[in-house]
Amino acid sequence: MSENSRIDLSRRDTERHILAAVDESPNSRRTVQYLADFFGNLPEVFVTLLSVVQEPDQDCCPTEEDAASRVSQAEEKARACLQSYRATLVDGGFPEDRVEMRLCRTRTTVAEAILAEQDKLRCCIVVVGRRGVSHREEFLFGSVSNHILHRATNCAVMVIE
Amino acid sequence: MPKALSTGYESIRELVVRHLGSHRAPPDFLVITDTSDFFQVGYNDVVLLEGTPYLVTRYEKEGRFGLDEEPKFWVRRAVDLAGGTTRILKFEFHETFDARVGDMEVHCFRSPRKEARILELVADHPNFMHGFAAHDAKGNNVRILEYVPGRRFDDQVAEGDLLHEEYLHTLFPRLLDEFLELTEAILFLHLHGEKHGDIRRDHIIRDRETGRNRWIDFDYAYEQSESPFGYDLQGLGNILLFLAGKGDVTVQDLYHSNRQAFDSLYGEDLNIIFKNRVANLGKLYPYIPESLNLVLRHFSRGATIFYDHTEQFLADLRDARRDLPPAEVRP
Repeated sequence: MSENSRIDLSRRDTERHILAAVDESPNSRRTVQYLADFFGNLPEVFVTLLSVVQEPDQDCCPTEEDAASRVSQAEEKARACLQSYRATLVDGGFPEDRVEMRLCRTRTTVAEAILAEQDKLRCCIVVVGRRGVSHREEFLFGSVSNHILHRATNCAVMVIE
Repeated sequence: MPKALSTGYESIRELVVRHLGSHRAPPDFLVITDTSDFFQVGYNDVVLLEGTPYLVTRYEKEGRFGLDEEPKFWVRRAVDLAGGTTRILKFEFHETFDARVGDMEVHCFRSPRKEARILELVADHPNFMHGFAAHDAKGNNVRILEYVPGRRFDDQVAEGDLLHEEYLHTLFPRLLDEFLELTEAILFLHLHGEKHGDIRRDHIIRDRETGRNRWIDFDYAYEQSESPFGYDLQGLGNILLFLAGKGDVTVQDLYHSNRQAFDSLYGEDLNIIFKNRVANLGKLYPYIPESLNLVLRHFSRGATIFYDHTEQFLADLRDARRDLPPAEVRP
């Protein structure tokens, strides 16, 4: 969203603002394609593509330089991804000024970071892809989409399979 | 933290002689101030850390801390020559490896910094090993740990040669009380944003001197996930299953010893991580209170919800404890 359009608060009442949380996985690619197909030609739909980079736990990096380098590599990948997803949406019919990209770093979980962005931007729909983690993986590592489904307030949640 | 002493070779030699006696003191010994190459730190060497000399008395093996007898080449047992007490020295050693949890892999890191931080946090907590970090002349982070004398907590399960039902109503309530205390200790870590990182039965030592159980070895760290405490929680769940089952109840054992019980089981009754262990123990032992079995089933393949936080696990476990008899006094 451009600075001017952010200031125009009245737009918030009429625009349908989607927050699409993405990463470089194939299901994120499918999610973006789905958004392009489903919403591409609808007026007054605004999409913020969000990529979250988790800062590595300091304990998992022998040095601060190592941690910084991992973050910078992850951010580089995320930026490339966002650009490519943006192109997918524009190809699907979204006007260029209706697709915004955001990259955020977090020390929390990815789900918490996504919900914090939703709260900040007041998006009415949060869209995430489903990684398809197994029951056991979810037990051990948790699931971004499940956490969002359980904790999101004041918005709808779409989980794209 | 010990007081700094005079650290000249002759002063240290006096301390070594005082400790070992003149007939056993080595004629020569190395005084090591840089532990970067800890492979070179051997028996009868003196490691000098922040003014305190530690006489190395033996190499440590995983057997002290773990299940197998693998040497822990970055760990030595030593005597603090200033105070005469036994200490464990853990030299700065970083490694990354994939720990197997069932048939899954978790990317783990050994972090001296993490262990040092937790040692500071739990300095006054009775359910953790104690110690502190000292830096050598090259800035290596060496953890100097108190030696916890005693046996493994889980050794008690086999005491008394009881049948399961008798065990559950006599010995188990006390073990559960002790496990609750241990879980509260893990909650203490979690509330401070820390994780144990390697919760296993053999990482709990029942301190012979204090009678309290103490968690040891918390230098493992692992990558962030959506369930920051999930790895610790699965460790707690596995210990609880071991305690409630009077050992791990495996499908292989049941197949040979109790075919009827074996035939009553479905996949949903098994441990979510370890496919050969039974988690829904209430099915085999119907006298297990439902409240306890409910907690156990959170760790089964049939579980539809999982514990996210240790507080939830602890709250359910406290409820379950109310449905069991009072603990027998330990003889």
